[in-house]
Amino acid sequence: MKEQHNRRRNAYKAANGHFDFVLLIVVLFLVAFGLLMIYSASSYKAGLDYGDPAYFLKKQLLSTLIGFGALIVTVRIPYRLWKELDLWIGLVGILVIPLVKIPGLGVTANGATRWIDLNIVTVQPAEITKLCMIIYLAAVIAKLGKNIRTRKGLMIALIPPTIAAILIYAITKNLSSAVIVMGIAVAMLFVALPNYKVFVVSGIAVIAVVVGVVLYAVSGSDVESFRLLRVQAWLHPEDFSTDKAFQTLQSLYAIGSGGIWGKGLGQSMQKMGFLPEAQNDMIFSILCEELGLFGAITVIFLFAILIWSCMVIANNTEDMFGALLVVGVMAHFAIQVILNIGVVTNTIPNTGITLPFISYGGSSIVFLLIEIGLVLNVSRGMREQ
Amino acid sequence: MATGRTRSNRRNQRARKRRADRHKNKKLGVMWILILLAFTGLSVRLVMLTTEEHDEYLKKVLSQQKYDSKTLPFKRGMITDRNGTILAVSEKVYNVVLDCKVMLANEGSTQPTVNALVECFGLDRATIMDYIEAKPNSQYYVLKKHLTYEEVQVFETMESMNENIHGVWFEDEYIRNYPSGTLACDVIGFTGTDNNGTFGLEEYYNDELNGTNGREYGYVNDDSNIERTTVAAVDGYTLQSTIDANIQSIVEKYIVQFNEEHKDYYREGLGSTNTGCIVMDIHSGEILAMASYPNYDLNHPKDLTAYYTQEEINTMIEEETYYETLNQLWRNFCISDTYEPGSTAKAITLATGLETGRIQGNESYECPGYHTVADTTMRCNLRRGHGILDVSGSLEQSCNVAFMKMAESIGESNILEFENIFNLGLKTNIDLVGEPRTDALIYNEESMRSVELATTSFGQGFNVTMIQMISAYSSIINGGYYYEPHMVNKILNSSGDTIENIEPRVLKQTVSATTSQQMLEYLNAVVAEGTGRTARPAGYAIGGKTGTAEKVPRDKTNYVVSFLGHAPANDPQIAIYVVIDEPNEEEQDHAYYATGIVRNILTEVLPYLHITKTEDMTVAEQQEVENVLGPGAYYVVDSETGELVDAVTGEEAEKTDSYLGEGTAQ
Repeated sequence: MKEQHNRRRNAYKAANGHFDFVLLIVVLFLVAFGLLMIYSASSYKAGLDYGDPAYFLKKQLLSTLIGFGALIVTVRIPYRLWKELDLWIGLVGILVIPLVKIPGLGVTANGATRWIDLNIVTVQPAEITKLCMIIYLAAVIAKLGKNIRTRKGLMIALIPPTIAAILIYAITKNLSSAVIVMGIAVAMLFVALPNYKVFVVSGIAVIAVVVGVVLYAVSGSDVESFRLLRVQAWLHPEDFSTDKAFQTLQSLYAIGSGGIWGKGLGQSMQKMGFLPEAQNDMIFSILCEELGLFGAITVIFLFAILIWSCMVIANNTEDMFGALLVVGVMAHFAIQVILNIGVVTNTIPNTGITLPFISYGGSSIVFLLIEIGLVLNVSRGMREQ
Repeated sequence: MATGRTRSNRRNQRARKRRADRHKNKKLGVMWILILLAFTGLSVRLVMLTTEEHDEYLKKVLSQQKYDSKTLPFKRGMITDRNGTILAVSEKVYNVVLDCKVMLANEGSTQPTVNALVECFGLDRATIMDYIEAKPNSQYYVLKKHLTYEEVQVFETMESMNENIHGVWFEDEYIRNYPSGTLACDVIGFTGTDNNGTFGLEEYYNDELNGTNGREYGYVNDDSNIERTTVAAVDGYTLQSTIDANIQSIVEKYIVQFNEEHKDYYREGLGSTNTGCIVMDIHSGEILAMASYPNYDLNHPKDLTAYYTQEEINTMIEEETYYETLNQLWRNFCISDTYEPGSTAKAITLATGLETGRIQGNESYECPGYHTVADTTMRCNLRRGHGILDVSGSLEQSCNVAFMKMAESIGESNILEFENIFNLGLKTNIDLVGEPRTDALIYNEESMRSVELATTSFGQGFNVTMIQMISAYSSIINGGYYYEPHMVNKILNSSGDTIENIEPRVLKQTVSATTSQQMLEYLNAVVAEGTGRTARPAGYAIGGKTGTAEKVPRDKTNYVVSFLGHAPANDPQIAIYVVIDEPNEEEQDHAYYATGIVRNILTEVLPYLHITKTEDMTVAEQQEVENVLGPGAYYVVDSETGELVDAVTGEEAEKTDSYLGEGTAQ
């Protein structure tokens, strides 16, 4: 009986792999929910500026369809193929960044040059870099095996993402993307290396630096650097209510005014011109305003399931390359969710960062779905639990 | 061996892999816990924000919402004359407003927008650009006011063709327009854009004329959602005045004519200090015309250039007498200014005498040219004396001595009582603003001694307003009914439905019908035989009384001359009162300045009112009427047959006359 049952199970697996439907359903739900929130948050402004309340929704819908196409393709290509292309992928991840500086290709918006124009869509190179770095790191760490513990091995793994992060920060003035790239690298190394000491020490060091910077900003020195002002605005948003902290304060008003159950879908007042980037970086505060604490916790819970699913896949994948790919993607989602919600709740200083699957952003959703495709691909080769 | 080695190698490899797996899985667990901790921390933060700060932040959100409430202005009601001719009307105009913030928010729209504004409204480009640069956040910059719909249309067409025009909108406003300019200015008064009437009907009926502003606004409902609602404006009520614009313009024409003829005649300045005229329907108290000179253009009430040079105006502004002068111009002489009525008051004295029975009508008085009362000698207007006069003759000749004697027999208490009955010293309550209190301007029991009694008898020593005099006079000749004078017949809503009919109000009976009939005869004789002869228009018999009052100081220089009368003589319909304050003449004490104006006015007004001629006209008079009215103008429509008839003879007009449209084959 048991044997028969096992045989049938194995036959099933051979046909479908260990395809993780929970992950896919959670993603589908988040994407659909994201489209709904984009429409709700943007329809007022889109109607005013473009005469079409569904302007942003339509654009995002198109990107989402492209994203799912890319996901299906990614699921079908065996992920091990990427391992052989690691050096090339790493190179692409770095070289794509300076493209924004090419005249006619780079797009400037809100004072920053972060996009390249591919005629049909604009793409943020940082999105490409993140994906490339995940693949590069996974491949290199898997190939190095034990040698990753040597200084040389660490260098090989760490130098390309560091270069990429520096380039992102220097060329596109995008601190948050740089932080995410480094965060992904550190998270992947953390999983790959057996020891804790170096991570605890560097974690403490980072915290010390942050505290130092905050104290420096609080001491009220007259160095009015952009980022120092941000720190000031973070600590005392009321003092900067008209400029630096305007967005943050409006975001807090939105969240606070939503209460436990929210004002109801579509009933946000803050989206009517008060909260800048309502459909973008600040979509979570509109979500809180309309659906309240209940909606916010539900979304956080969904992200937790998503990350949990990734972890289960990573745990059960014998292949180091596949497991690390999943770890990279998982780290990417986790960091972005934490930073985004941290910003809208003013838990950390304001920095431009989107909420995966929910924020408006064409190139972002495509690359996020490609990453999900990678994870699903890896999940097919999962060992029996 | 070989197989054993490979087997052990494989085992080793697997073991190594498991070790790697173990630490990998352990690390993943640590990472998961860290992520979960972060999620929990953020959730706690969210709980804090949504519970502790909820009320405060909800308030902030609501308070920063602009409810975008926009006022929808009401339309102030019209003022029309009794036939519906529009005297005052509010017209919708538009103000161009630029919202710099919106314009600048739309990239590349500044140039096209400013270009269109300059092109459509002739604005100065540099001024606009300077403003935009200085105040880029301004959302309310009024570029130009009071544009017509057509002017706005030009811009809107341009806007619909160019999608780069942003941030321009139009604000509705109503401005008051007075199509007839100066006509009836004292009666109507004026209103600025603030919908606050100044003087006249505009002020008196301000509340009726004004409607209620509408509003387009958003509000927060029970669920804290914004809802938008429009409450339409309620337009103001229309006033139908008792004024007849035709009579009014006839009256004004002759007042202006007199004043223009007498301009700079004897002294430098206007033809008179003031000239006023009231025409009243004696059977209802309705005012048909009320005018005074100098007048002003209601569309430009602050324009003094008609009477003063720019230099004089500048001096006035410097000496701060500018508004005083304007107020003088704006005030309604006919109801606001008081003066000594002079001999016109003799009608009141005589009516008092007849009504109290102290004068029977068969008395006779000897006039030696003066009369002495309590050691004060007062001269008659004729120094050599009138000789012996009966009652009618006394009024015809306007003999002061006879009236002083009459007053002696009437007695102080009767005189004072009847002043009260005739409403002298009291407000008439006419529906206009600016009627003064006059109770201190007439004598009372304490102040009236025999000298005061004597002067009162011929209209000196106390003060009246024109409206008091004509109202009292009307009651004397209409059978004794004192009507409250009024200016408005009817109040209508904006769709033309009647809201209120203002019926004539009889306030009291002043004299009996017998007294009234007797007074009518005496007054008719004044025009037929006596001092009022010059007031008689061709073709009509009328009655009335002249007045020449010496002004204080009593140095025989300044006079108020007047004529207070009725027409036609035996079946009076209207009362007319003309008062000229200080005519610009060397000798001002001639009533014929006033009777001349009355005569001119009545020559036109009586045929206009379809009052049948009562007298035959001489050839000279026929000629005169034709000069004034044009040939055939004295034909009127017979009320019974509907035929055109001669106003004098009642004969049917010849139908072949070319001016007749009807029956004339072309």
